[in-house]
Amino acid sequence: MLLVTIAFNLSLVRSLVAVHNSASSRRREHAIAVGKERREALMRAKRVCRAPLSGSDEAAMEEGDMVIDEEKANLEARTTQAVEELKSALSTQGKGAQKKKIEVLRALRRLLSQSEVPPVETAIKAGAIPLLVQYLSFGSSDEQLLEAAWCLTNIAAGEPEETKSLLPALPLLIAHLGEKSSTLVAEQCAWAIGNVAGEGADLRSKLLAQGALWPLARLMLSNKGSTARTAAWALSNLIKGPDPKAANELISIDGVLNAIVRNLEKADEELATEVAWVVVYLSALSEKATSLIVRSSVPQLLIGRLLASENLQLLIPVSSDFSITYHSFCIFTVLRSLGNLVAGDAYMVDSVLTVGNSITDQAVSSLIKCLKSDSRVLKKEASWAMSNIAAGSFEHKKLIFASEAMPLLMHLLATAQFDIRREAAYTLGNLCVVPTGNAAPPNIIVNHLVAIVNGGALPGFINLVRSADIESARLGLQFLELVMRGYPNGQGPQLVEREDGIEAMERFQFHENELMRNMANGLVDKYFGEDYGLE
Amino acid sequence: MQQRPEDAMEEVEAAAGPELGFWLAARRRLAPDDPFFAAGDLERELLAKHLALDLSEDDRNQLEKMEVASTCTVFCPIAGCGAHLGCLEDFEDHYVTRHSASCSVCSRVYPTSRLLSIHVSEAHDSYFQAKVARGFPMYECLVEGCGVKLKSYKSRQQHLIDKHQFPKSFEFFKKARPSQRQRQKSQRRPTAHKGEEARDNSMDVDGKGTRQTNWKYRPKQHDHKESKENERQHQEAKENEMEVEQKIDELTSAVSKLSTADSTPANVTFGHRRSRGLTFVPRSIRQNKQPASQPEAK
Repeated sequence: MLLVTIAFNLSLVRSLVAVHNSASSRRREHAIAVGKERREALMRAKRVCRAPLSGSDEAAMEEGDMVIDEEKANLEARTTQAVEELKSALSTQGKGAQKKKIEVLRALRRLLSQSEVPPVETAIKAGAIPLLVQYLSFGSSDEQLLEAAWCLTNIAAGEPEETKSLLPALPLLIAHLGEKSSTLVAEQCAWAIGNVAGEGADLRSKLLAQGALWPLARLMLSNKGSTARTAAWALSNLIKGPDPKAANELISIDGVLNAIVRNLEKADEELATEVAWVVVYLSALSEKATSLIVRSSVPQLLIGRLLASENLQLLIPVSSDFSITYHSFCIFTVLRSLGNLVAGDAYMVDSVLTVGNSITDQAVSSLIKCLKSDSRVLKKEASWAMSNIAAGSFEHKKLIFASEAMPLLMHLLATAQFDIRREAAYTLGNLCVVPTGNAAPPNIIVNHLVAIVNGGALPGFINLVRSADIESARLGLQFLELVMRGYPNGQGPQLVEREDGIEAMERFQFHENELMRNMANGLVDKYFGEDYGLE
Repeated sequence: MQQRPEDAMEEVEAAAGPELGFWLAARRRLAPDDPFFAAGDLERELLAKHLALDLSEDDRNQLEKMEVASTCTVFCPIAGCGAHLGCLEDFEDHYVTRHSASCSVCSRVYPTSRLLSIHVSEAHDSYFQAKVARGFPMYECLVEGCGVKLKSYKSRQQHLIDKHQFPKSFEFFKKARPSQRQRQKSQRRPTAHKGEEARDNSMDVDGKGTRQTNWKYRPKQHDHKESKENERQHQEAKENEMEVEQKIDELTSAVSKLSTADSTPANVTFGHRRSRGLTFVPRSIRQNKQPASQPEAK
């Protein structure tokens, strides 16, 4: 599990305190009721805005208390009323009109940000969206725009249908990202847009078509940390695909790569995290982006951070006096972006991570650090990255083979969960085969193979052969082929037999996949035919 | 290594050895929405929402379960099974429970109890052989639900190939692969005893159990040497068949001697009351075993 430290700024701490104290006891009571809903909300790529943005006047004034045990009916009634008042305030004229509008907006905003499960559905049913769109009109005061955008942000953080209901508001939200807007307004609008983008590919393409990419990229250059961070997060949601178009467009914008580099250099770890996510998606989807990134200082920056991160353990609970600070920097963001870069462009392994360069040693060390951690995610994704380096040159294979990674990988192959075992298998197998382009039986690096088999890896591979997952079974069979063909003195088949390898291969006789059947049968026929055992 | 199983399969087909896919060390790229990344994405969201703090151990486990469940739909790949497994870890248990039916006579293992029972009838039941000898179609099609019965092993095999696209090399009942000890013994024995030895082998329960005898597929005729082996096996198989046929002749004559047309009881009952000298009761009925197929006069 992952322990990550988070650095708070004061207002955030305060709101979290407020959340925590009043929430903790009441939360237990309502745990079951909201459990499922809450869990689903947690898993989404959308974020509810609970506290005023840093730097806003609200931050100084608000002492928001989480409303937990509002009965649902009561909450719904209040929400409906708030929307009604929203409507009537629009038509108010005269002196107190502006003040009135802010009041009603604030009332709705509080309901949407302080309830544990915001009454989004009710608000939409009552007709909040078209009203909020009106409140977003050009020329409105900053305060008004801020409150309206905040309401929309939290509506957009709901269920898919609820997010989609924001469609009429999109053009205005995007417009208010512009450089003429106040930073706070732009930031809040970016947040709302980030939530919409997090919903799905359809909404993403709508946002792109309406021109959301460019202003968000500009915001990522902001000097204000929280603005840059929110913009980066929104961008990561916007470009995550599966269509690579957005990623390609983003990297083509002048200054974006620079902005990424600069933000990664900064001490602000929350910001660096979100920017690293942009790198993750750029490197996963855009070859152009990957190519540019691997030739920049980004890889070194990422590896440096990975190496420098203090601990990779699970978060410990907040102590009552809040003396514990946390870094919000996600280690595995870096790991993932590194993994994508290694996987995506040969230049990374061939030219950046050349054996002999210190960056290469650092990269391998940082991966080993992840392999040692308790975190499933870190172990899995580090093994994956390692396997791609092991697919590199002969020098790379020797490097990994000689490193601390070997016993770790062997251990993972034998004991870890399935998905990690598979990645470890890829790595170990890649170490045994000389890089070759053609499809002929690949040449085997015998001393690597011998060491790995003697180290007890066979049972792990044979377990993969037994797996219901075709890719893993194929992997296992291919490794057995290497062993039976390449282990010296023809001892391969015996070794395989000793570990019940034959039984595992024979399971394929009634397997529904013909290719697998043929593959397994071919091996048994070839290595355990009539002549087997006769000397 | 390829990133998608379908691609992987294509690669395997294109590989030099027709059946053998070789290990290819290659970079594997993964799409951002690949289930591989699901766990990491979840971690990201939890941390970003500063809520990892708030989550109880229970909450966390639930979340991981939800995440795993959403990416994990495994179906048993054994032909005809289709069982849905909660996760990959469950497969081994499922396999051992459901697909390891073993023959108590010769220790061959079958993936379903139906196939096992077909095997037992065909290989160890003299009653079955007697019916075959009398011309009843006893050899069931192996594909569940087909229902066709053929008169000989070979015609059943042909049916499987013609109607169900089984590979030509498929052999439901393959001669057991002898253990190392047996093989060494056989090298020293004179060839005249080959047939007998083959039968011995089929009854041989190797203590280790590793060389067990559920090998169904004939070796491919890759090269001259192997085809010679095939010939040898054919020879042995023929010898086997001849042996069996002899046995059947003996059996049928014995049976015909025992039962006289008049005194065959209408109902065969257990116990001695009505047996009247009919001491031979087919083993399958005696043991109350349900035969794999009811003989139908066709």
